Amino acid sequence: MCGIVGYVGTDQGATDVLLEGLSQLEYRGYDSAGVALADPSIEVHKKAGELSSLESALPESQLGDEPAGIGHTRWSTHGAPSDANAHPHTDELERVAVVHNGIIGNYQELRDELTTAGIEFDSETDTEVIPHLIGSFLEQGQTNAEAFRSAIDRVEGSYAIAAVFEGDETVYAARNESPLVLGLGENGYYLASDVPAFIEYTDRVIYLDDGEFARLTPDRVVVTDDTGDVVDTTIETIAWDSEETGKSGYDHYMLKEIHEQPTALRQCLRGRLEELSGGVSLENIDEMDWNPPIRLVACGTSYHAAAFAARLFRDWGVPAQAFLASEFTATEIPLSADSLVVGVTQSGETADTMRALREANRAGSTTLAVTNVVGSSAARTCDEVLYIRAGPEIGVAATKTFASQQVALMLLAAELSNHRSRELIRELRTVPDQVQAVLDNSRAKEIATEYRNADAYFFIGRKHHRPVALEGALKMKEITYKHAEGFAAGELKHGPLALVSEKTPVFAVVTGDGPIAEKTIGNVKEVEARDTPVIAVTDGVSDVGRYADHVLEVPPSTGITSAITANVQLQLVSYWVANELGRSIDKPRHLAKSVTVE
Amino acid sequence: MLPAARKPILEHVFDALIDAGVTDLSVVVGYQRNRVQSHFGPTYRNVPITYVVQDKQLGSGHALECAEPANPEPVLVVYGDQLIDQKLVFDVLHEHQAGTATATLGVVREADVRDYGGVLLAEDHAVRDIVENPADDRNYALNAGVYAFEPAMFDTVRTTDRRSGELSLVDALSNLLEEEASIRGVASNGTWIDATYPWDLLEIATDLLADASSTQPDISPESTIHESATINEPVLVSQDCVIGPGAVVGPNVSLGENVTIGSNTTVEQSVIDTDTRIESGCTVLDCVTGHGTYIGPGTTVVGGPGDVEIDGQIHHNERLGAVLADRVHDKGGVTYRPGTIVGTDVVIHAGSTVGGTVEDDSEVYG
Repeated sequence: MCGIVGYVGTDQGATDVLLEGLSQLEYRGYDSAGVALADPSIEVHKKAGELSSLESALPESQLGDEPAGIGHTRWSTHGAPSDANAHPHTDELERVAVVHNGIIGNYQELRDELTTAGIEFDSETDTEVIPHLIGSFLEQGQTNAEAFRSAIDRVEGSYAIAAVFEGDETVYAARNESPLVLGLGENGYYLASDVPAFIEYTDRVIYLDDGEFARLTPDRVVVTDDTGDVVDTTIETIAWDSEETGKSGYDHYMLKEIHEQPTALRQCLRGRLEELSGGVSLENIDEMDWNPPIRLVACGTSYHAAAFAARLFRDWGVPAQAFLASEFTATEIPLSADSLVVGVTQSGETADTMRALREANRAGSTTLAVTNVVGSSAARTCDEVLYIRAGPEIGVAATKTFASQQVALMLLAAELSNHRSRELIRELRTVPDQVQAVLDNSRAKEIATEYRNADAYFFIGRKHHRPVALEGALKMKEITYKHAEGFAAGELKHGPLALVSEKTPVFAVVTGDGPIAEKTIGNVKEVEARDTPVIAVTDGVSDVGRYADHVLEVPPSTGITSAITANVQLQLVSYWVANELGRSIDKPRHLAKSVTVE
Repeated sequence: MLPAARKPILEHVFDALIDAGVTDLSVVVGYQRNRVQSHFGPTYRNVPITYVVQDKQLGSGHALECAEPANPEPVLVVYGDQLIDQKLVFDVLHEHQAGTATATLGVVREADVRDYGGVLLAEDHAVRDIVENPADDRNYALNAGVYAFEPAMFDTVRTTDRRSGELSLVDALSNLLEEEASIRGVASNGTWIDATYPWDLLEIATDLLADASSTQPDISPESTIHESATINEPVLVSQDCVIGPGAVVGPNVSLGENVTIGSNTTVEQSVIDTDTRIESGCTVLDCVTGHGTYIGPGTTVVGGPGDVEIDGQIHHNERLGAVLADRVHDKGGVTYRPGTIVGTDVVIHAGSTVGGTVEDDSEVYG
């Protein structure tokens, strides 16, 4: 999982543009970074560590006005993080430099072939075969453009690749199954794995499709298909505001994004609720052709949203199941032409989810992407797309996008199950304010201070609250590096209860006062009887507060929206524990924002 | 973050500052800082915003102290809840830069200063005295709350005594006068409207709605208005609002985002903030609501004029029906006497009659 950038332009030094772009992509991975500047000769600077180590390694005098360059921020898949393994990579004569995001499937075969031909490799990366391949085609007298294309033709796997050549003011690029987007500015052209890298300069973009090539020169951009024919491209305008990527006075993006949830949820709901008729309206979704059951595929936090949705579908009479995308194989699940497979992925690039969706497409099923990123691979691979409209999320730990996924999936479940309820519409319209109420009044910080040194954190919930418990634990693990586990409340006594002690606080999500709440309260009593601190996340309707040491309040609601507000309390607890422990909250160790490798 | 017609008052303030040529904004935030930060983000109209957190609200002087810049440089200081005129800001800035005064403050002549701050000016515009809520009848000008300070002002602020824990900017200015530093006043005929009191807010909203110069549409295309509802202009309807059948909205009503007006409900002369829901069959006149307020079916806010008690002081015959703060939950069939003020998160049970002031987080029966 990596990020790449490229720039060709007339009035700005490429180095500054590339470094700025890389800093915006650091969320994609950050164990090493590098840049290559072209014209007249190739100049490569790369460094293991965060982007700042690259910046400090750059000689001052080099921050000049080179017209073209490429850059890379790396998250290791092949080879350890080191200066040598950092991109860009070059051929032996340093005629070409290449950056790459993805995985080259036939890398070993190509490497063996090149080694046999006498070429020496500097790194352990799969990427390095590309510059050497290009070099070998240059040897055969091909032009830069021909050599680039010939090399890409030999490569199998997933890739977004950019290359620069000595003495050539051009950036060459190609894409297959890894994200790549071009930006068209007033005085230059940009390419990147994701829009934030250049949104500061332009909001006009072209999304490359699989198998397409692009050539960026100071005066134009040419996109060609795999046979070399020029492709008519669509220029799209990005609605994201670059200022959304600043921290707005918060110490971390995560806290900023937690507080953006009321706004994000308003955007998600906008134009999709019909208060006067009590219905939901989702463009194109009502025209999909499908039969139950519904399969949802997703990873990580998105999987928790999918599990929440699967339960809602079942509640409203539509059989549905959530699968971990990495465990989903089309051959094991009976899929047919009228099956519906829903992929839930924030970035729209998650490799495991993309593979599952592609398999579903091959089986002829209808596919639906639920994603945050317009024009992402998932959006373009699936038959239909439902955008969650959360706005860009920089913190690696998903927060506002989870809430927006929950709400978007509630809308989807209401639409597909034909569940019409004025009460539901009314309740959905109050969700942004319910979340605001939690943010205004949360006591999560006090709880975090009290339990920051706990041995482990456990989270329990039943039915709609089980995914909330799982997500609460995932958030805690991700950013505090502490042991945390989420359980179905009823499962506690079947094993995990052996783990609880006075040093393992248990967070119990209990809302309403029906039989479900009663049963979870029973589980709370089991825990409480063992002197384990209990923090109840509750709307105060039941008497769970009597058995809990602390209460985190959520607004009373008639139903499922408390799964959204309860999660916000747990997000805040994790954030404040991580803050107390001084963790790298926005970029937790070993993790990347969107995981584009399987 | 109180709304004044199309946008929060703080946004109007930022506009005035930027229009007057300010290129760096520092905002001292405390209570509800998250809402301010989420609303504006890191920049406003391409001007970078620095957020300074004041953990405890210990007075305007303390707020200024929190915002002291790292490098000593002159600063312009205004309040976030007072609508100010771009011209007054410009005049204060200009006068201060041209002169040698330690402090320059904007004043408005011929205003009623009794409930506000008074400033006595000499012939040469030197400030002679500064008095809060003056009771004598000397010829005061009104302190418009627009200041320019030299870095030396921060030293004076630091050495100013606190009164009941609070550090007042006006006390610091008085000390500065005693130190015989030069303070100058700049008189302006520009507008100055304070939003200290809730009826001020209704007046501001009415003035702003009448101002036809705005380019934004008054009725968001992303709102839903039933064909049988009546809209009496001027009215502002924000995104995601829903107005039900038979409702009558306006004149002089501003609805924030995602507000719901139920069927056959009448709303006039009111500012209704984001996420508020007014159920069917209500009459709501001269009313200000906060975020997420719920008004149950059949409630009546009878409207002003009425006597309003604020901080122990009675203001007579102000045009105010009721103020319902954030997330007041009215269960329906409630009658509000003129001038009622209800605090945040108050629950009012069905059929109650409410008047006077209701404390935050309380419950009202009967």
